[in-house]
Amino acid sequence: MNENLFTSFATPTILGLPAAVPIILFPSLLIPTSKYLINNRLITTQQWLIQLTLKQMMTMHNTKGRTWSLMLISLITFIATTNLLGLLPHSFTPTTQLSMNLAMAIPLWAGTVATGFRLKAKNTLAHLLPQGTPTPLIPMLIIIETISLFIQPVALAVRLTANITAGHLLMHLIGAATMALSTISLPATPIIFTVLTLLTTLEIAVALIQAYVFTLLVSLYLHDNT
Amino acid sequence: MPQLNTTVWPTIIMSMLLALFLLMQLKTLNTHYHPPASPKLTNIKPHNNPWEHKWTKIYSLHSLPPQF
Repeated sequence: MNENLFTSFATPTILGLPAAVPIILFPSLLIPTSKYLINNRLITTQQWLIQLTLKQMMTMHNTKGRTWSLMLISLITFIATTNLLGLLPHSFTPTTQLSMNLAMAIPLWAGTVATGFRLKAKNTLAHLLPQGTPTPLIPMLIIIETISLFIQPVALAVRLTANITAGHLLMHLIGAATMALSTISLPATPIIFTVLTLLTTLEIAVALIQAYVFTLLVSLYLHDNT
Repeated sequence: MPQLNTTVWPTIIMSMLLALFLLMQLKTLNTHYHPPASPKLTNIKPHNNPWEHKWTKIYSLHSLPPQF
């Protein structure tokens, strides 16, 4: 195993053509649509899940915030399906790409901030200074709060990238260790294989949790701004 | 970190924009979420007749010559 640990995160090409495009577009094929009243089990489960998620996320919002429901639901579905498909062996995970996560985080964050400035500019500006700040600290705190506002999309993108990348790296390392151990010490192999199985289960959970966290944070920024 | 290689960024970003902001949203939008069926009281609702109960005009038959 002399290969670079990060090779699985390089964008794949097939015959010199970028394979990332069909890989990124693929998850949307797995979402069936239906206009019927009575559906099969797959669509019923999917609709139930979407409605459950929608209820969980959008009840905290007011009418203005609820106009974002389609965006947020598509976002959580997209990230969750991409993450889960990326857990398949020998596959490429688009959510490990910083570029994609930044391109998801920045427009959504900018949208919430723009909404805030449009709907209630005074409140949005008031967020830049916490209540009860001593007067000499005010200029300093405004700078800090402004930086923290602008760091939000970067934090969102880096969080998703780092979590998914770290998980895949760990699975890669422990998988390689399992392979190596199977030739060295046979009794130790089941133990590390159990660890690998547990880690894979954790990664499936992390894939869903990170999708939820990303959407929840966008939803939180939206809540602060509507 | 191959993620920091910016030559592939435009490809990734463009395909993501297509997938997330167009395909996913259309998929979600094109599904009809019917509210769960609930029993309706039929006898309380006013009945909408396609005809009038009371005639305010007297029409002559088409077979008769028009009368002005």
